[in-house]
Amino acid sequence: MEWFKNFYEGFVFAFGCAMLLMYALLALLSLRGIRRFQRTHSYVDYTKMLDSPLAPGISVIAPAYNEGVTIISNVRSLLTLVYPKYEVIIINDGSTDDTLEKLINEFELQEVDFAYNERIKSQPVKRIFKSVNNVYDKLLVIDKVNGKSKADASNAGINAAAYDYFLCTDVDSILEKDTLLRLIKPFMDEEHQRIKAVGEPCPECGYVHFAEDSVRVIASGATLRLANSCDVDEGVITRVRPPRQWLPRFQEMEYIRAYVLGKMGWSLINCVPNVSGGLGLFDKEIAIKAGGYDSQSFAEDMDIVTRMCTYMIDNKLKYAIRYIPTSQCWTEGPPTLKVFSRQRTRWGRGLAEIITMHRRVLFHPRYKQLGLIVLPYNLLFEFLAPIIEFTGILFYIYLIITGQINWHYALILLAFVYLYSVMITTLAIWWDHMTYHYYKTWREVIGLALMAFLEPLFYHPLIVFFALRGYYYFLTGKKHSWGNMQRQGFGKKKTANA
Amino acid sequence: MKTIPAFISATVDQFRYAPLVIQIAVIFTAVAVSMTAIAYISILLNRYRSHRREKKLAALHPLIDELLTEHILMNEELYTDEPVEATVPVGVFDKPIFEKKWARQVLIQRLMQYRDNVQGAMGDQLRSLYIQLGLDKDSLKKLKSSRWDHKIQALGELTNMDIPIADVIILPLTNSRNRELRATARHAYIKLSKNEPFKFFDVATEPLLLWDQVELFRIISTTDRISIPNFAQWITYSSNKSIIAFCLKLVEHYQQLSAVPAVVKLLDTRDHYLRANAINCLGKLRIESVEDKLMSMYDSQPHHCRTEILKAFGRISSGKQVDFLRQEFLHSSDFEIRKHAAKSLINNQWAASSLIQELVDTATRENKLILKHCMNPLIKF
Amino acid sequence: MHKILVIEDDEVMPKIFQRILHKENYQLDHVVNGKEAIQKLEETNYGYDLIITDIMMPYANGFEILSRVKSRKEGKPIAVIIVSNAGNEDMILEGFKLGADDFLKKPVIPGELLIRVKRLLMQYQ
Repeated sequence: MEWFKNFYEGFVFAFGCAMLLMYALLALLSLRGIRRFQRTHSYVDYTKMLDSPLAPGISVIAPAYNEGVTIISNVRSLLTLVYPKYEVIIINDGSTDDTLEKLINEFELQEVDFAYNERIKSQPVKRIFKSVNNVYDKLLVIDKVNGKSKADASNAGINAAAYDYFLCTDVDSILEKDTLLRLIKPFMDEEHQRIKAVGEPCPECGYVHFAEDSVRVIASGATLRLANSCDVDEGVITRVRPPRQWLPRFQEMEYIRAYVLGKMGWSLINCVPNVSGGLGLFDKEIAIKAGGYDSQSFAEDMDIVTRMCTYMIDNKLKYAIRYIPTSQCWTEGPPTLKVFSRQRTRWGRGLAEIITMHRRVLFHPRYKQLGLIVLPYNLLFEFLAPIIEFTGILFYIYLIITGQINWHYALILLAFVYLYSVMITTLAIWWDHMTYHYYKTWREVIGLALMAFLEPLFYHPLIVFFALRGYYYFLTGKKHSWGNMQRQGFGKKKTANA
Repeated sequence: MKTIPAFISATVDQFRYAPLVIQIAVIFTAVAVSMTAIAYISILLNRYRSHRREKKLAALHPLIDELLTEHILMNEELYTDEPVEATVPVGVFDKPIFEKKWARQVLIQRLMQYRDNVQGAMGDQLRSLYIQLGLDKDSLKKLKSSRWDHKIQALGELTNMDIPIADVIILPLTNSRNRELRATARHAYIKLSKNEPFKFFDVATEPLLLWDQVELFRIISTTDRISIPNFAQWITYSSNKSIIAFCLKLVEHYQQLSAVPAVVKLLDTRDHYLRANAINCLGKLRIESVEDKLMSMYDSQPHHCRTEILKAFGRISSGKQVDFLRQEFLHSSDFEIRKHAAKSLINNQWAASSLIQELVDTATRENKLILKHCMNPLIKF
Repeated sequence: MHKILVIEDDEVMPKIFQRILHKENYQLDHVVNGKEAIQKLEETNYGYDLIITDIMMPYANGFEILSRVKSRKEGKPIAVIIVSNAGNEDMILEGFKLGADDFLKKPVIPGELLIRVKRLLMQYQ
């Protein structure tokens, strides 16, 4: 027992230190990224793209399920994005309300004979609509059989997309007007289509085999925030506020930390683990070749990114995934514990699934940063962390009961972990504040920053619990949760955001 | 009762004899606490500073706007067609506030904003104001700063105001190690240089990124002073593929028929991306004479070159390739190929209307759908 | 007196319009986005002689306003000029397809704008 105790203590301590060190490293990396972005950004003129014939085309793909209340203003908002060459594809995923009727009436839609090429499998597409009014010629509406998941609907959208890049979002998310301009820039900042000769030319016919030699950006993303307490007017954010309710407020803080500090940091060393399902711009060709979204997956966004990376490495292609620090998308976060618990349980289950599904890549040196950094990080610090934390607490309780605990040292360690995590969160908010002043008053910023002190006590235990529940469901393959859970995350419960 | 020094020394002792783990923890706790405090302080300081700045700007912008509208935009002579050498009333800007550096910077930015919206005599007036207030000296000073972002900012200002920069100053910047600075310096050089704006096409070895191509394209197509060279010289001789690709776009934009032979020669390149670009360019130029060559090379091409060839036949619309398009449409196993063939057939409709009708009547369900898709004016792609 | 509606979300452009058009004794109204434009048009029962609009604006873009104005059956026709810094070939064509009377790219030449406005107002009288 004594031996086990020493081993366990040592392991937990090493694990904890590694984790804290990683966060510190991420914070430094993301600081570098943000500083660089800031300097570049101070003079970049995005409007130069607006009259350029060289702007790459983008298909904006937004699935809708029973969104009748807000669909019109949300689609209008998507149609007024600032970009010279894009289309908006709305997928009505078998809504049972009047979503489709509203769209048809408002935008003067007419059914068209559309040569739909099903390159990725999805539930059958019933009808495809275009507007007879020239003003809305950017709009395409797909009516399909409900596939019980956002992934399935997105796949149908990708199949119908006309352009080389697609932006994946939710119809109820609110995008900043310049989102497309900003997200496409990382793609244009790398050279495209450079090839090099491989091996000797064939002695008989002189044929030279060529291979791709350039770094191809396959996806880009930006920070997401919560729209819960923002002032929204017909699909346009008029005033940003941190959420007033406790639960969304914690989530906003968590989002800022995950995006500004996490993904931004990973982006610098080209190890972005995941491009959020709420907002991401993808290279369509690679997404299709990787098989599109997996409609059975509980974490389809992370799954597709992992598969796209795997595809690139398998074919010996160099790739990059980039994140930008500015917030471009506002989404409604679950306001009640019930909905929140379902979302997080789903995420936990999804994570477990990703780890097992891609285990052949895990720790495989051939898969470079994907196999040696991204997935191991996810296994150790995302997947195992809740388990270790939970067993750690059990261990502490055991020590207390058996009276073996050194209260003095235990408290010092506890204070250390607590204050360190507060620091990391505060730094994230500081970095975010450096990027742009989203909140109007200093009270709002400080009000959000102070949540960092409460998070380890109230919010974090919830997350650990829900993640463990997700793992449990994954292990037991809980069947009845399927329909229910799948539908969550998608038709996120909505408070009045009209 | 312990004294404070005794308490401190006791604590230090305790720390000294604690296990390593605890020592590390204590040190990092101290770091964490101070970093958190610093974060709070700098957030608040930053808030305060930007608040002050906003207040100052809120007062300054209306002042600038008023001065500009009253004394520059009002000038009646600006509305006649003759070029006017109207004197700029510099005197009205002779206010103490404009001696401050930040206020001058705000003024520069405002002037640039005006010049983005208006040109002609009014734009010239704004420019003379910039020069006569000596703001160009501010910009030139920034150009000498050691920070690359300041240099880029200065280049932007000078380009916007059309102020020539001496070659000795700008040429070293076009070779800077910093990519953004290098690109901006080149853009400025092309825009402002009197002699050889396209010189760097000859020397650039590193790729011309798409993002920079956008800016370059805009400068070349909107600056009247630049005389357009024959791009064939780079298409034929450049070893930099991204420059060739960019020149193809310029050839297309200027409908430069004199460059066609060079583009046709490019069809034999081994680089299939470049080949696809060349086919695209020829199609958009509607070079009918190249159709036979495209047709003969079709079978040996990779997928994306094939679709480009099909598209080119649609764009050229000579009516001669109708049979070939029909055959591809009916017999290709690839959906994309069939779709592009159909689309090009429709573009050749003037020569193939009966054929198209026949195809609609006899095609399989999927092929019929493709034809209808391509014929529908509501669907662009 | 002619009434002109300027729809423009840029800060300085309306000031320039004001100056360019001031001596012709036009009455200029200025709104900053598509929603306000539609409100204004409906309030005044489309009581304008000419509309100068940008393309990319929040709520409703310039094309939408253009199409509303041009597809109106009753009332007198209103001239529409698009003034925008966005304008690739497709967009310009789309603008004319929807019935725009003119398409000017920024930066504008004051004299040119003035002449075009005058000419359109004459035509539509």
